[in-house]
Amino acid sequence: MIQCCGLQWGANGRSLTPPLDLQLVPGSLTAMIGRNGSGKSSLLKIMAGLNQPLRGQVKISTPLLGGISYLPQQQELDRQFPIRLAELVSAGFWRTRVSRRERQVRLQQALSDWGLLELEKQSLEVLSGGELQRALLARLSLTAAQVLLLDEPEVALDEHGQQLLWQHIARWKQQGRTIVIVSHNLASLNQKLDMALMISSNGCIFAPIDQFSSNCQTLEEVA
Amino acid sequence: MELLWEPFTEFSFMRRALFGGIALACSAGPLGVFLILRRMSLIGDAIAHGILPGTALAFWLFGLSLPALTIGGLIAGLSMAGLSAWISRRTGLREDASLAALYPISLASGVLLLGLGGPKLDLIHLLFGSALAVDTTTLNGMLGTSVLSLLLLVLIYRALALDSLDPLFLRSVSHFGALAHGVFLTLVVLNLVIGFQAIGALMVVGLMILPAAAARFWSRQLPVLLLLAALFGATCVWLGLLLSYYANLPSGPCIVLLAGFLYVTSVVIGPVRGLLRSFPSLTTI
Repeated sequence: MIQCCGLQWGANGRSLTPPLDLQLVPGSLTAMIGRNGSGKSSLLKIMAGLNQPLRGQVKISTPLLGGISYLPQQQELDRQFPIRLAELVSAGFWRTRVSRRERQVRLQQALSDWGLLELEKQSLEVLSGGELQRALLARLSLTAAQVLLLDEPEVALDEHGQQLLWQHIARWKQQGRTIVIVSHNLASLNQKLDMALMISSNGCIFAPIDQFSSNCQTLEEVA
Repeated sequence: MELLWEPFTEFSFMRRALFGGIALACSAGPLGVFLILRRMSLIGDAIAHGILPGTALAFWLFGLSLPALTIGGLIAGLSMAGLSAWISRRTGLREDASLAALYPISLASGVLLLGLGGPKLDLIHLLFGSALAVDTTTLNGMLGTSVLSLLLLVLIYRALALDSLDPLFLRSVSHFGALAHGVFLTLVVLNLVIGFQAIGALMVVGLMILPAAAARFWSRQLPVLLLLAALFGATCVWLGLLLSYYANLPSGPCIVLLAGFLYVTSVVIGPVRGLLRSFPSLTTI
């Protein structure tokens, strides 16, 4: 469960939006939409406990450490870092106590789930954007986090990769995890999600997603 | 062949400089690899300059005592790192700019403080190193620092590596990132402080960064990089001391120049991203 009370955020002390009050229940799947610079990624980082809000607070009913998984936008990673793909993925085991053999089994499973088995020994440098994104998602799927915050997970994924992503999201939702996705691709979200949060300087709207898809522009003007 | 060993079997001060230097190279090299991976290479440079006023002040107050010099250097080096981080956080200026502004200040004040201390300490030796400066106490200090650094590095290895690659992810699963960063910075300062006697305050950072930078042209695996950096550093210490002995030159620049030669060679022929690598037609000729 994620609860925002009178939340305001932004840079240099200037808030991007009016205070936000919001409640996301376990097992919910929410899209976060809005223009570039509206503050979607910043809000996601605040929910993840990585940044501080200006005012108000976020309450999350899960331990802060290991309870929340955050998928960053991948340009924040140093692609020349000397590490193999399998090592990057197995960082998802941090804070989970499982035997070495069990780890190996689950790592292989995650690698095969995300179509990464042949790339296991490659260094980050030679991966394509989509392959790196799948690796980050595989790492995320190894964590035991109950809250999943995904910043533009579809970026760089091809058709097949996107199918994999949505299969996994459906499974995570069934497991009762709370999922928030920042996305620009409103047309594709419409089929798959229930609720959306529109971030806008005039005020944020939390509503069923089909209300946004038809006339996104006008809704923002009304708000 | 005998020329390669003779100075070390003949003179105990050369032996001390060799053992101390190699020990230091073994810990400074891996620390340098992490400095580069964390995009902090400039910070090493700034800290090395920042150490100078601390050691100068300690020398002025307490004379030539290793613990006093070390503690003075540690305090000055850590405040240097802290001050630049604080300035850039408060002003929004990039950290490299505040570091670049701070280190001429500390270098100048260090040299002035040494001048005030009188002619008792040879400035050239302090800045550029002298094999003669490694007495038994210093040697023990170097060995101890090296062992301590390697042990702590093993302990924080996993957290430090993940924190260098993806600090946001580490913060979501562990509070250990900040601690690992603090321990790492302290080790960097400690290695620079201990190294300045044998290799020189201005040269020791070269022993930290150059072998690490050279290693990146030979491997894409972090453990291999750490090993190579230590190996490269140790080799440069050995050959550099020989060069300084036979040519009668300060030891620091000899060691660092050899490391520089190794770096330039790696840039050209290194199998990973080396220059010849990008022109396959050249390598087949």
